[in-house]
Amino acid sequence: MAVISKSVVGRDRPAAATTGTVAVTAGLVLLVLVLAVVDITQGTADVGASEVRDALLGRADAGDSSVVIASRLPRMVAGILVGLALGAAGAALQSVSRNVLAAPDTLAVNAGSYLALGLVAVTGVSLPFLASSGAAFVGGLAAAAVVLGLSGLGKGTVRLVLAGSALMLGLNAVTEALLLLFPQKTEGLYRWGQGGIGQNGFDGVQQMLPVVVAGLLGLLLLGRRVDALGLGDDAARGLGVPVRGTRVTAVVFATLLSAAAVTLAGPIGFVGLCAPALVRPLARRFRGLTRSRTGMPVAGLVGAALILGADVLLRAVVPADLAVEVPTGVVTTVVGSVFLVVMALRTRDTDAAEAPDRLRIPGRTAFLVTVAVLVVALFAVVVGAVLLGDAKLLLGDVVNWTQGRSGRVVTYVLDARVPRVLAALLAGAALALSGTLVQAVTRNPLAEPGILGVTGGAGLGAVLVVTTVTAASSWVIAGAAFAGAAAASSLVFGLAARGGFRQNRLVLLGMGVFAGTTALISLVIVVSDPFDTTRALTWLSGSTYGRNMPDVLPVTVVLAGALVWSAVRRRELDLVALDDNTPRLLGLRLTRARLGFLVAAVLLAASAVAAAGLIGFVGLVAPHAARALVGRRHARVVPVAVLLGAILVTLADLLGRTVIAPAQLGAGLMTAVIGAPYFLYLLVRTRR
Amino acid sequence: MKRHLLASATVAVAALSLAACGTSEPSTDDAAPSAKPAAQKITVTDATGAKVTLDGPATKVVATEWNVVEDLVALGVSPVGVADVKGYTAWNTAAPLTGDPKDIGTRGEPSIDTVAALAPDLVVATDDLSPDVVAQLRKVAPVIQVTSADGADQIGTMTEGLDLVARATGKTAEATTVKNEFEASIAENKKALEDAGLGGARVASADGYVDANQVSVRAFTANSLLGSVNEKLGLKNAWTVEGDKAYGLATTDVEGLTKLGDVHFSYIANDVDGDAFADNLSKNAVWKSLPFVEDGNVHRLPDGVWMFGGPRSMEAYADSLVDALTKK
Repeated sequence: MAVISKSVVGRDRPAAATTGTVAVTAGLVLLVLVLAVVDITQGTADVGASEVRDALLGRADAGDSSVVIASRLPRMVAGILVGLALGAAGAALQSVSRNVLAAPDTLAVNAGSYLALGLVAVTGVSLPFLASSGAAFVGGLAAAAVVLGLSGLGKGTVRLVLAGSALMLGLNAVTEALLLLFPQKTEGLYRWGQGGIGQNGFDGVQQMLPVVVAGLLGLLLLGRRVDALGLGDDAARGLGVPVRGTRVTAVVFATLLSAAAVTLAGPIGFVGLCAPALVRPLARRFRGLTRSRTGMPVAGLVGAALILGADVLLRAVVPADLAVEVPTGVVTTVVGSVFLVVMALRTRDTDAAEAPDRLRIPGRTAFLVTVAVLVVALFAVVVGAVLLGDAKLLLGDVVNWTQGRSGRVVTYVLDARVPRVLAALLAGAALALSGTLVQAVTRNPLAEPGILGVTGGAGLGAVLVVTTVTAASSWVIAGAAFAGAAAASSLVFGLAARGGFRQNRLVLLGMGVFAGTTALISLVIVVSDPFDTTRALTWLSGSTYGRNMPDVLPVTVVLAGALVWSAVRRRELDLVALDDNTPRLLGLRLTRARLGFLVAAVLLAASAVAAAGLIGFVGLVAPHAARALVGRRHARVVPVAVLLGAILVTLADLLGRTVIAPAQLGAGLMTAVIGAPYFLYLLVRTRR
Repeated sequence: MKRHLLASATVAVAALSLAACGTSEPSTDDAAPSAKPAAQKITVTDATGAKVTLDGPATKVVATEWNVVEDLVALGVSPVGVADVKGYTAWNTAAPLTGDPKDIGTRGEPSIDTVAALAPDLVVATDDLSPDVVAQLRKVAPVIQVTSADGADQIGTMTEGLDLVARATGKTAEATTVKNEFEASIAENKKALEDAGLGGARVASADGYVDANQVSVRAFTANSLLGSVNEKLGLKNAWTVEGDKAYGLATTDVEGLTKLGDVHFSYIANDVDGDAFADNLSKNAVWKSLPFVEDGNVHRLPDGVWMFGGPRSMEAYADSLVDALTKK
C-alpha cells in the first residue's frame, strides 16, 4: 500500500510540475505577444491598429508598411531580444553567484559597456556595429570580473552590491566626464545612456540576434552544471562538475548577452535584476522553474514582458512625440528601484553583520600627529586651489587680495575662485561628518549618505527647483534639497528601522532609493530641457561651478552647528555606535539620540548637495579612513574625518578646474574617480 | 612613517610657498586705473532689463555664446575671449573669427577664471547662462545678456541682440549695414525662389543625431530661427510637431517624418560630427519610402551655417537653401 501510494506520488508530482511550468511559460509567451501587438500600434507616425493590420496583411500603402516593417517591428523585436538577454543573464548570474542581487546592473556590466561605447564615440572612429558590440562586451566583462573578483562568489549580497555600485559610479563618472568634454560628439549619448529600444531598421536586430541566440544556447547547455552549483561547491565537485570553469563560462555568456543588449538599446536598468526576482515566487509553486534550463528562459520572457510593458506604458501615458524623448530605461529603472526596496524588506539578514574592523588603538601622539599632518595637507591643498587655475597666481597676490588692495585682474580671479574653493571644502567636510554620524547611528561601516539615497533625494529636490524656478535663491535650493533628502531618508531609515538598521536591509533600501532618484532626475532633465542637458548634468556631477559667497552660507551654518553639537555629544556618539544595550543601561534615551544624529546627518548631506551638487564616496571613505588612522573614539574620528573630507573634495575640485582648463569637470566626477578605487581597495582589504 | 609624512608635507608646503611668493600683478597702490571722462559713458538696458553702464564703447569683449560672437565679428569687433573656439570655427563659417581670441571653455560653462584673467571691459552673454554665473561675471566686468531665442519672434530677437551688442560697442552704424544686407539678401533670395516657381513651397528644416541605433531628428518648426527665415523667404513650414517656447525645436524619429508629406527637406550637418541622414538613414525603409526622398528633394546644406546664429549666418543659410532648392 505504502509502496503504491509512493509510486503514485512519485509519478504524479513531476507531471503536475511540468504542466504548471508549461502553463506559466505559455502564459508568459501570451503576455509578451499581447504587449508586442500593442507596442507596434504605437509610435509617432499616424499608423494605428488598422494600418498595422493592413500592413501585416500586405494591403497597406508603401509608406505605412515601411513604418511597420522598418520602425515598429524592429523596436518590438529589439524589446523582446533585450528583455530575453537581460532576464536570462540576470538569472544565470544570480545562480552562479548564489546571490539574489547579482545582475548586469549590480555587477557594473552595463557601466563598463557604456564607458567602452563612450570611448569609441569620443575617438570618432565609427566602428561597425558588431565591433562596437565587441567593445561593449570587453568593457562589460572587465567590469564584471573586477566586481566578482572583489566580492567573492556566494559571499553575501552586500559586498556584491557595494563593489558593483562603487565601480558603476566610478565608471559612470568617467563616462559623464566624456559627455561633458565632448558635448557635440556625444550628443544623444546621455539620453542613450538611459536606454531606449527604438531602432533604425532591422540591421541592429539582425546583427545582434545571433549573439543573443548564442548566449542563450550557451547558458542552456550549461544549465545542468549551473544547477549543480546550487548544491554547493563541494557537492558540485563531487558530481564531477568543474566549479570554476562553470562559473567563468556562465559569467562570460551572461556578459555577452548584456553586452548585446547594451549595444542594441543602451543600458536598460534593472530588468536583469527584476525578471529573475519575479520568477522566484513562481518557482516556489512550480518546481520545474527552479531548474536553470527552464528558469533562465522564463526569466528572459519576464524580462521581455517588462521592457515591452514599460514601452507600451510610456506611449500610452505621454504623447508620442514626447515619448521619443523619454528613454525606456528610465521607466524600467523606476520600476526596478521599487522592486529593490520591496526585496530589501523581504530579505532576511542571513549575512552576519560585517565584523567591526579590527583596529589598533593608536595613542594620543599618533592622533595629534595625524591631525597636524592633515591640517598641513589641507592648508597646502587650499593654497594650491586658490593659486592654481586657468590664471595662475602667486601668494603675494592673495595677501594683497585679503587686504583689499590687489590689482584688477587678481581681484576678479580671486573673487570668482575663492567661493568655489570654500564650497568644495565645506561640502567635503559636511559630507564626511554626515557619513560619520550615519555610520555611528546605524552601526554600519558601509552606510553613507550617497549609498543610502539621501543625496539622491536631495539632488532630486534641488533639480526640481533648478529646472522649474528661473532664479531660485541659494536658500530655496538648499530648502528643496533638504525636503528631498528628508523624504528619501525617512523612507530609507523608516523602513530600515524595523530591522534595527541591519546591514542588508539598510544598504539595499538605500541603493533602491538611490537608483530611483537618479532615474527620476534624468527624467526631469530630459523632459524639462531636452536641448540643454549640460546645465543639469553639470549640477549632477557635483560641480562648484558658478558658486557665489551666498551659496556657501547654508552649508557653513549647518556644518558649524553640527560640529559643535557632535563635539558636545561625542560620548553619546560613542555609545550609540557601540550596541543596543549599553546606552540604555547608562540611561541614554537611545531612540531620541539616534533621531537627533540622523537629522543632523541629513541636514549636512542636503546642505552639501545644495552647495556643490551630487558628490559621492566622501561620506564613506573619510570616516572609514579616519577610523583606520585614529581608532573609533568620536572625539578623534570626527575631526580627522572632517579634515579628510575637506581635503578630498577640495583636491577633486582643484583637479576638475585645472586638468582640462578652460573647460572643467565636476568635483563629484573627480571624487568618484579618486574615491571608487579607494573604496574597492577597502573591500579588497576587508576580504576574508 | 607619520613623522616622515609630516616632514615631507612641511617641506612641500614650504617649497610651494617659496615658489608661489611674490605677486603676478602690482597691487592697486602701485597702479591706479585711468578713469575715462564721464561724457563717453554708455548706458544700455539688456534683455533681462538690467541697466548696464560702460565707461565708453567696449573694445575688449568676451562672448559666451556663438550667436553673440558672430554679432561681434559682424560688427567689426574682434572678441578677446570666445567659448569653444574650435567648435565655432567648425560650425560658423559665415562670420569667421577675427583676431586671435582666447578659448574661455565650453559654452555652457565658460571659465570665470579665464574671463577674469582677460580683464575684459564687456562680457556679452545670453539669457541661457545661469543667474549664478552671471552674478559672478558681473564682478569681473559689466555683463549684458542677450535673449538667445524667443519662439514668438526669432528674427526680431536676433536683430535686437545685434543692436544691443552694437550700442555697447559703439557700432550702431555697422549694425544698420548688417541688418540692411540681411534684408537685401532675403529679398533677393525670395525673388529667386519666385522666379523658379518655388514661392510658397513647403519646406522642412532639420538636423539629426544618432544615439546607438536610433536616429533622432530635430525639427526646426515655424517658431525656430531657420523656420522664421524660411517663412520670410516666402516658403511654408511643413512641420506639424510643436517646438519648445524658446528655440522652436522639436524632436521626432524617422516615423515622425511620414507626417511631412511632399516637401523640400533641408538639413544641416557637419563633417566634424557626421551626417545622420546620409550615414544612418539612407538604407532605412521608412526613409526611402518618404515622398521627398523618392523625389530627390533632400538637401544637405553646406557646412558652417550656425542654425542659432545672427544675420550673417542667416544670410548664408538663405543663400545655401535657395541655391539647393533652385539647383535642379
